[in-house]
Amino acid sequence: MNAFATDMTTAPDGSAEAAAREELLRVDNVSLSFGGVKAITDISFDILKGEIRAIIGPNGAGKTSMLNVINGFYHPQEGTITWQGKERRKMKPYEAASQGIARTFQNVALFKGMTTLDNIMSGRSLKMHRNFFWQLIWRGPAEAEEIEHRRKVEDIIDFLEIQAIRKTPVGRLPYGLQKRVELGRALAMEPDLLLLDEPMAGMNLEEKEDMSRFILDVNQEFGTTIALIEHDMGVVMDLSDRVVVLDYGKKIADGPPEDVQADQNVIDAYLGVSH
Amino acid sequence: MLYDIFIDPFVQMYDMPDFFLQVLWEGFVAGILYALIALGFVLIFKASGVFNFAQGIMVVFAGLTLVGLNENGVPAYLALALTIGAMGILAYGVERVVMRPLVNQPDIILLMATIGLTYFLIGFGEFVFGGEPKQMITEELGLPTGSTAIEFGERGLIILQHIDIAAAVIAVLMVAALGVFFNKTRIGRALRAVADDHQAALSVGISLNQIWAIVWFAAGLVALATGIMWGARSDVSFALEIVAFKALPVLILGGFTSIPGAIVGGLIIGFGEKIGELYWGGLVGGGIESWLAYIIALIFLLFRPQGLFGERIIERV
Repeated sequence: MNAFATDMTTAPDGSAEAAAREELLRVDNVSLSFGGVKAITDISFDILKGEIRAIIGPNGAGKTSMLNVINGFYHPQEGTITWQGKERRKMKPYEAASQGIARTFQNVALFKGMTTLDNIMSGRSLKMHRNFFWQLIWRGPAEAEEIEHRRKVEDIIDFLEIQAIRKTPVGRLPYGLQKRVELGRALAMEPDLLLLDEPMAGMNLEEKEDMSRFILDVNQEFGTTIALIEHDMGVVMDLSDRVVVLDYGKKIADGPPEDVQADQNVIDAYLGVSH
Repeated sequence: MLYDIFIDPFVQMYDMPDFFLQVLWEGFVAGILYALIALGFVLIFKASGVFNFAQGIMVVFAGLTLVGLNENGVPAYLALALTIGAMGILAYGVERVVMRPLVNQPDIILLMATIGLTYFLIGFGEFVFGGEPKQMITEELGLPTGSTAIEFGERGLIILQHIDIAAAVIAVLMVAALGVFFNKTRIGRALRAVADDHQAALSVGISLNQIWAIVWFAAGLVALATGIMWGARSDVSFALEIVAFKALPVLILGGFTSIPGAIVGGLIIGFGEKIGELYWGGLVGGGIESWLAYIIALIFLLFRPQGLFGERIIERV
């Protein structure tokens, strides 16, 4: 199985270019279990700087668990994670955030009582350096900083075309727009790596097209590396540079979309072959 | 009978305006003190969605620490500073031992944890300071103790206790400071974020631990102020804990998440209670003060389930 995966990465098409790129994140032999239940077994893969990396697999394959491992919500029992060349030990989610990993959630996790603007502003919390004691003593510098952040946030709002809902509490927005605001909040963190957990779940065709365009733009214009989980194969094949396929917590394929699509293991996993 | 309910009380108010004003003042002071307690609950509820059962005992604990230190020869102001420090340690400890292991647990679990904390603080407080009621060190802290009588009309007289005036001033300052702190600083936004969604807050790099420690510390300071003020009016004893649950109707009125709500709610309960007791209480044999607050809260609940200033609950299904 692993031999197969290495085959994929050394395949002639596109891999020379990929090898030239710098490695942003590497996951080595990671295993994660909850009590007796193994969620992830011995998974290794890498994410290169500037690429769109898709993680796919049938329901319960361990995709979201993998994402949670990367941004520190879960701590794997075995294996290592190397982030920007540094192997990291147990990491807390807010530490992952401060080192440039942003994410969205499968079931939108926004601050529902707050407006779109405040939600996206909250993505800037780590970039604000004047702490609250400063703000209490002398508001000048803190205020200037707030204005600066506000400008960045307005850029994101323009980019995502959500000007009209700037002051709307997000709890009132339709699902598709909530997903967009959530993307905005992640973008506000100016991340090096953006983790998207099913960014298009529950969207109609038009919304999916919009979202795909935003993801591509983020990748191309800002050069942000993206790892996404998605069930819509059309979207995955169109967007991603390389795909990891998980099934029952194990990696069954890894490589460019067209190769993965043709892989017998992957076809079996999706069509269901007795294990 | 109808005359007694609908006409006589108002006639009395008109006939004896000085007495009425006195009642209003009493109501105002009681209201401010209820508001102070409610404020402690609101702070923690806003940040963690937890009804902090231990707020009442924190009031007692803060008061006891202050008085206890002073009894052991620590000068009043130093004792005050040390008590503030103790509330800081308590906040840090609660965050470390109680909140941190329970991240993402259902709210009911956190409520149970605060009940546990209540019993711990009762036991610990009795162990260190003993169970005897103590006299608040009002004078040592430089709080005024006298009273002023203001003449009113031809033969009227309104008596204002200085400690009550001080209580009102301190409460107002405290509320203003907290308002600025939570609305104008980035901590405020982080706080609201944490209240809405723990996971999401973590993912944008907000440290839950830091926010919770700050909030519990703020609630501790409010508890200390409450302890001093309530303590000065009666004694510092474990019975004060019960008074804290007077904050419940205040919270129902004002909404669990609103600082202005806590204040307005407190005032409505304070006024309602005193006026109700003195003008209508006699009709049912008096003593309605202890339960009238809950009736007022219930009536409000019928019309505004989210409280006067509570956040509208919007849920898309």
